[in-house]
Amino acid sequence: MVKNITIFTTTTCAYCPMVKKYLGAKGLQYDEVNLDQNPERQQEALAISGALTVPVTVITKQDDTKEVVVGYNLAKLAPAVA
Amino acid sequence: MAETTETPRHDVIIVGAGPAALSAAIYTTREDIDTLLFERGVPGGLAAITDWVDNYPGFADGIAGLELAGNLQKQAERFGAVIELGEVLKIHDEGKWKRLETTSGDMLAKAVLIATGSDYKKIGAPGEAEYYARGVHYCATCDGAFYRDKRLVVIGGGNSAIQEAMFLTRFATHIDLLVRSTIKASDILQRELQKYVDDGKVTVHLGTVTDEIVGEAGAVTKVVGTQDGKKVEFPTDGVFVFVGLKPNSEFLEGCGIELDHIHLVKTDENLQTNMKGVFVAGDIRSGATMQIASAAGEGATAALKIREYLEGHAHPIQN
Repeated sequence: MVKNITIFTTTTCAYCPMVKKYLGAKGLQYDEVNLDQNPERQQEALAISGALTVPVTVITKQDDTKEVVVGYNLAKLAPAVA
Repeated sequence: MAETTETPRHDVIIVGAGPAALSAAIYTTREDIDTLLFERGVPGGLAAITDWVDNYPGFADGIAGLELAGNLQKQAERFGAVIELGEVLKIHDEGKWKRLETTSGDMLAKAVLIATGSDYKKIGAPGEAEYYARGVHYCATCDGAFYRDKRLVVIGGGNSAIQEAMFLTRFATHIDLLVRSTIKASDILQRELQKYVDDGKVTVHLGTVTDEIVGEAGAVTKVVGTQDGKKVEFPTDGVFVFVGLKPNSEFLEGCGIELDHIHLVKTDENLQTNMKGVFVAGDIRSGATMQIASAAGEGATAALKIREYLEGHAHPIQN
């Protein structure tokens, strides 16, 4: 079970709305961190994902374990939020 | 192979959801032709990840690629087009029906439009794969924000490289633009680029071949190249690569659909392939001009040719 979801995005990224749309279609709520508006959180996104890219989706489970999905990758995102 | 009676059937399946595909879908769905699109990435394709589109007719001041893609999608969906997020893996000719193997299972279509477009090519230099997404990038609008107040190298000399290099100046303090031969971008883009060169934001290095992307402690530090037979080095925090396009036609290998020597799909004057009932539009077509406006036009043309094919074949709503 998913406890909460955070998506790191940028304003111009085309793949970010796809992740949001997918989660929205599944009825899942999420927090969004726009890195254009919050550049001070870029290092946090990099530390979590190991990648200088967005979207980065962090799924926190009920037992507080985290799953990180880099990019718009339904093959990983779908099971992570199931 | 699944029983055809249980396999989902559509009049038209469009492979891809870029400008050619969405334009075709606008035409087919407006005529009540049942149309399903398959997209493995993002609707809008490369157009959606292009910062700014200045040459698509009807937008006097240009339009953001993401906005153009969103508008095309909305317009197609308004008439009933359905976009399924998934991938077509193979196309089989079964005469009246084409069987598509997809990530959602087998599907049947009376006509198929291949509009899978293209992706950015890789340069194949050492370090490129190793530092992918950790210093080497192919999408400026996705990843540019990570390079605020940093130095960048952009590799390429075509329209995409110039357009995206100018976009990246929003973030980077300086950009070294490495061009293998000469700049091939349109005159208007070259004139625009010159303003950034004059301002000292961009330095153009013509005749520069990229040999290696070098890093330390997991981060890119420099690009090593060759210019006029001499080794040259460009210190940088990141590299963006725009060196041309690679057709998304791998899934057609072995299907019996004829490709040209660079793996684009061959068609006749009706945009139909050698497999009857399978049509092509946009960047993936042999002879395509790789322009969004051309892709949209070809999508409309293909839709009309598909309608003719379906009318000569069977009424769209009949099996």
